[in-house]
Amino acid sequence: MQEKFSFASGYRSRTIFRVCNIVFFILLSLVMLVPILKVISDSFDAKAGYALTLIPTQFTADAYKQVFTDKELLNPLLISIFTTAVGTALCLFLTTTSAYVLLQTDMPGHKILTWLFFITMIFSGGMVPGYLLIKNLHLMNTLWSCILPPAISVSNIILMKSFFESLPQSLMEAAAIDGCTPFGIFIKIVLPLSKPALASIGLFIGVQYWNQFFNFVMYITNNDLFNFQVKLRDIVLNSTDLQNSNASDTALMSRTVQNACVIVSMIPPLIAYPFCQKYFTTGVTLGAVKE
Amino acid sequence: MQNTAATKEIKTGVRPHTLAARIYKYRYFYLMMLPAVALLIIFKYVPMAGVSLAFTKYTAFAPPKFIGWDNFKELIGDASFLSALKNTLILSLVNLFLGMLFSIGFALLINEIHRKLVKSVFQTILYIPHFISWVVTASIFYLILSPSGGLINQLIVGLGGKSTYFMISEKWWTPIFYLINLWKGVGWGMIIYIAALSGISDELYEAASIDGAGRLKQTWYITLPGIMNTILVVLILHLASVLNIFQSVFVLQNDLVLNVSEVIETYIYRVGLLQSDYGYSTAVGLFKSVISMILILITNNACKKIKGEGIL
Repeated sequence: MQEKFSFASGYRSRTIFRVCNIVFFILLSLVMLVPILKVISDSFDAKAGYALTLIPTQFTADAYKQVFTDKELLNPLLISIFTTAVGTALCLFLTTTSAYVLLQTDMPGHKILTWLFFITMIFSGGMVPGYLLIKNLHLMNTLWSCILPPAISVSNIILMKSFFESLPQSLMEAAAIDGCTPFGIFIKIVLPLSKPALASIGLFIGVQYWNQFFNFVMYITNNDLFNFQVKLRDIVLNSTDLQNSNASDTALMSRTVQNACVIVSMIPPLIAYPFCQKYFTTGVTLGAVKE
Repeated sequence: MQNTAATKEIKTGVRPHTLAARIYKYRYFYLMMLPAVALLIIFKYVPMAGVSLAFTKYTAFAPPKFIGWDNFKELIGDASFLSALKNTLILSLVNLFLGMLFSIGFALLINEIHRKLVKSVFQTILYIPHFISWVVTASIFYLILSPSGGLINQLIVGLGGKSTYFMISEKWWTPIFYLINLWKGVGWGMIIYIAALSGISDELYEAASIDGAGRLKQTWYITLPGIMNTILVVLILHLASVLNIFQSVFVLQNDLVLNVSEVIETYIYRVGLLQSDYGYSTAVGLFKSVISMILILITNNACKKIKGEGIL
């Protein structure tokens, strides 16, 4: 629908509205972007934070060099990469297998299984019993405490299940007639056909693991096992002298390095973002917009 | 789903009748399911059983000792718990209200942009903050609002004002909390309304404009009723999780603003994990979980009434 763009009478008020609307969204976009741009600029600025500008006054990339060479920062980065890689692989495996099994309505015990997953959506034991469990399993200060509990994600299983349901059933019927076992159908037909879903749900899971933070706060007290998010919070808040009680003995990082850390921890989710953009609406509206 | 079942029947000819035969047929599926069920039981069901600690006195120094409902009696008279409950409701509900208001408004406005490319560029930019973790968001705003060289304070000083440490001021913390939540969530919140708006038939608008209805009238009589179901569903979905507000508060709060920023979950963290009063904090958690469960079941029924199917 292409509207006439004209200030002639009859079109005037509509055109004024459209111009104002565009200007409004440009301003809104600036509000969204300026905080991020300021951090990017400051991460390259040796005199970070002392100028009212979005362009570095004294350009330097040393802060990024420090992030990738200083053991204090590189180690948390590697921990983040490790937990994200292992966690995503595990979670994706559990999500696809559970989603496929939950589709087998004829399987004895199907109802019980469904309820087993369903109940966890409406009731949870809460923070303290979860913490005591990890403690009693002697998983404190191991990365498993941050990899295993989030690996079971019922909402992702539901999302995956609805993708499987949307696959053309005739293909599976044909395979079954050809003598393919149910397991073979899963490996040879369902998985290859759901590559887009695997990719996008995998990215969602990956972002969750990368951004994971509170499990590390609860279960990890060993400085060497902090991931990058915890480290980031540590160095930014440490500099503000607010939370010295639970800050580690990290040396104060310069303002430039703090900004660089923000950018480094922001990059992986933002790289993942365009790849799963196609599925935003599906993911968000699943079960919420009336068909 | 019926089709999948039917598939198996085509393959095997008839559906096996004895239970044993059916179990045998699905043997690999049980194997497939084993790791997920094991983790589910360990990490979800064992903590559920752990709520029995709510009826005990249990600290880091003494083993659990059964005391019945005493923890809950203490809870009702606990001023810091009541204050946390109050803060939870205020922060959550204001957040919800502001978030929905602005998301709906922006969705209506962005829907008036008819050039696809322009619209998708704006959408892409508005969605970005959703992908930034809460820790990073908090860090960005701590840096920008910092009294020493933060962008905002430099502006204030440049305009002749006095530098303020916003994040430790009880007066400023709450409005800043709402603003940061809007910054992060408003774009993402629009998605569902944009999807609903695209479902409204063009014919309705054409008919209305033939009848002489102006743009505002069309918005009021066609667009808003058209997305009313979605608005209600989003509203009750969020009401179900009104007590769960946590991450955003946890990363933005500090000891100086606890009066206005302590919510139930952060209170549980403080009492349970930092002060090791496991019994009492489990009771607080159980109180929260039970109310949340009731809210979810109520909203599920409400959703069923509105759109014919539940959220669960």
